[in-house]
Amino acid sequence: MIDFKNVKKVYSNGVIALGGVDFHVNDGEFVFIVGHSGAGKSTLMKLLLREEIVTSGQVFVNNHDLTKMKNYRVPKYRRELGVVFQDFRLLPNKTVYENVAFAMRAVGTPAKKIRKRVPAILSTVNLYDKFDCFPSELSGGEKQRVALARALANNPKIIIADEPTGNIDPKMSMEIMNLLIKINRLDKTVIVVTHDQKLVDYFQKRVITLNDGKIVDDHVGGMFE
Amino acid sequence: MKRRYSLTYLIGESFKSLWRNGVMSIASVTVLMSCLIVIGGFALIILNINKNVDRLGLMNEMVAFADYDLTDEEIASIKDQIDKLENINSVDHITKDEALEELKANAGEFGDVYAELEGEENPLPDTFHITYNDNSKASTLYYQLIQIDGIYKVNNRLNVANTIDSIKNGISIVGVWFLAILFVVSVFVIVNTIKLAVFARRNEIEIMRYIGASSWFITIPFIFEGIIIGLLSGGIAYFIVYLIYRYIENNAASNIQMLSILPFTEVNMLLLAGFVIIGILTGIIGSCTSLRKYLKA
Ligand SMILES: Nc1ncnc2c1ncn2[C@@H]1O[C@H](COP(=O)(O)OP(=O)(O)OP(=O)(O)O)[C@@H](O)[C@H]1O
Ligand SMILES: [Mg+2]
Repeated sequence: MIDFKNVKKVYSNGVIALGGVDFHVNDGEFVFIVGHSGAGKSTLMKLLLREEIVTSGQVFVNNHDLTKMKNYRVPKYRRELGVVFQDFRLLPNKTVYENVAFAMRAVGTPAKKIRKRVPAILSTVNLYDKFDCFPSELSGGEKQRVALARALANNPKIIIADEPTGNIDPKMSMEIMNLLIKINRLDKTVIVVTHDQKLVDYFQKRVITLNDGKIVDDHVGGMFE
Repeated sequence: MKRRYSLTYLIGESFKSLWRNGVMSIASVTVLMSCLIVIGGFALIILNINKNVDRLGLMNEMVAFADYDLTDEEIASIKDQIDKLENINSVDHITKDEALEELKANAGEFGDVYAELEGEENPLPDTFHITYNDNSKASTLYYQLIQIDGIYKVNNRLNVANTIDSIKNGISIVGVWFLAILFVVSVFVIVNTIKLAVFARRNEIEIMRYIGASSWFITIPFIFEGIIIGLLSGGIAYFIVYLIYRYIENNAASNIQMLSILPFTEVNMLLLAGFVIIGILTGIIGSCTSLRKYLKA
C-alpha cells in the first residue's frame, strides 16, 4: 500500500519538484509513472525510499508514516522495498552471484539460506548460467536482470524501478519489462518510472502522468488517450 | 528469522579494502607508527624522569625534636605514634645521650668540653630521624608530626619536597598535553585513510543503504580497517621502541651512574596497552567520523 497525500517537495535551492501530489496504490498493483524530464518522477521515488523527506503532506507505505519515521528506522524500512536504477549500480568487483548474495548478507541473512535462495532468484530472472560472471562481462539487459535479482533478494513487497530500461536496447527492454510483469504476478507491487511510450502503450497498465510536479493524468491504459 | 552477520565476512572486507588502498595503507601505518614511537618515547622519558626525581625525594627526611624531661614511657609512646603514621619509611630514635656522644666524637680532642653535660645536665633533646616515601605528602606528614604530644619542633625540608613535587607536576602537565596533541594527530591520520577507503567504496555504501543494510553493518569493516592499521602500527612501534630502549638500557645507563633507568620489563605492559588502546580508539573514532556523512539515511 502506497499513499501520497498532498505531497509537496521543495529542494533547498528553491526548486519545487512536487507541488501537491495525491495518489494511492493498492497492494499488487502495477503502475507506470511518466512525464517530461524534470517533472518530479525521481523525486517521487526518492520520497518512497525515504532518501528525501517531504516539505509538506504525508507519505504512507505499508502503514509506515514516512514523514514521521526516525532516521534509525530507515534501514529496516528499506528492506520492504526492492530498488532498480537506470545505471544498474552493481558492484564491479563481485560476481553476479556475489552481487545478489551481498544484498542478503547486508541484512543479516544466514549463510545457509543465502546459498539456497540466490540460485532460485537467478533462475527467476533467467540468469542462472551467468552466476560466475563479473558485471563487466554482461550486456546491459543482463546487468539490469542482476539488479532485478538483487532487488528481489530480500523478498520485498514493493519493487520500484527508476527508468530501468533507460540504458538498454528495445528488445532487451521488452524482456526486462516482461520480467517486471512476472514479478508483479508474484503478488508484488511494482512502480516503474519510464520514458518509453511504446512499452507503456504495449502493456496497458495504470499510468500516472506528472507534469511540473503535479499529476495531470492517472488512468489505466496507454500513455495518451 | 534469526539474523546472523558473518564476522569473517566483515573482517575479510576490511583486509580487502586495506589491500586495495595499498600505498595509502602503508603511508598511514608509517605515519601512525611514527606518532606512536614519539608518544611511547615521550611517555618513557616522563616515567624515567619521575623515577629519578623520586629517588631524589627518598633522600628527604625530617627530624622531630622531643620535649625535655620526658619519661622513657612517653618517649616510647611518641615513637609508637610516629610509626603508625602513613607515608613513613623509617624512624630512627636517637636518645639525648647518643646525641651527646656524637657531639663529643665530632669535637675530637675538645670533646672533654661536653663532659660536664652528661647525665642529668644534658641539654639536648631526644630526636627522631624520620624518612618517608611520598614527597607529595610531605607537608601532611609534617603537620601530623607537630601535632603529636611531646614533640615541640620538626625540622623539615618541605621547600625541597615541594620543589620536587612541582617539577613532577610540570613534567606531567606538559607531557599530557603533548600526548594529547599526538593522539589527535594519530586520529587525523586514521581519519584520512578511512576517508579514502570510504570514498573508494562509496558506491558500495550507497547500494548497501538502498538495500537496507544497518548502519553498523556498513561501519564495521571500516572500524576493523582502522583497528588493523592501529594494531599494525602499534606492534611495529612497540618493537622499535623496545630495541631503542634496550640499547639505552645496556649502554648509556651504565655510563651515567647518577641515572637509574627503569627496566623495560617494568614498562612494557604499559607501553603495549597504550599502543593497543590508541590503535583501537583511533580506529573507531576515525571510522565513525569519516562515515557520518554517508550514513545520514
Ligand atoms: N537534490 C536536488 N537538489 C535540488 N534540486 C533537485 C534535486 N533533485 C532534483 N532536483 C530538481 O527537481 C526537479 C525534479 O527533478 P526529478 O529528478 O524529480 O525529475 P525527473 O522527473 O526524474 O526527471 P528525469 O526524467 O530527467 O529523470 C528538477 O527541476 C530538478 O532539477
Ligand atoms: Mg529521473
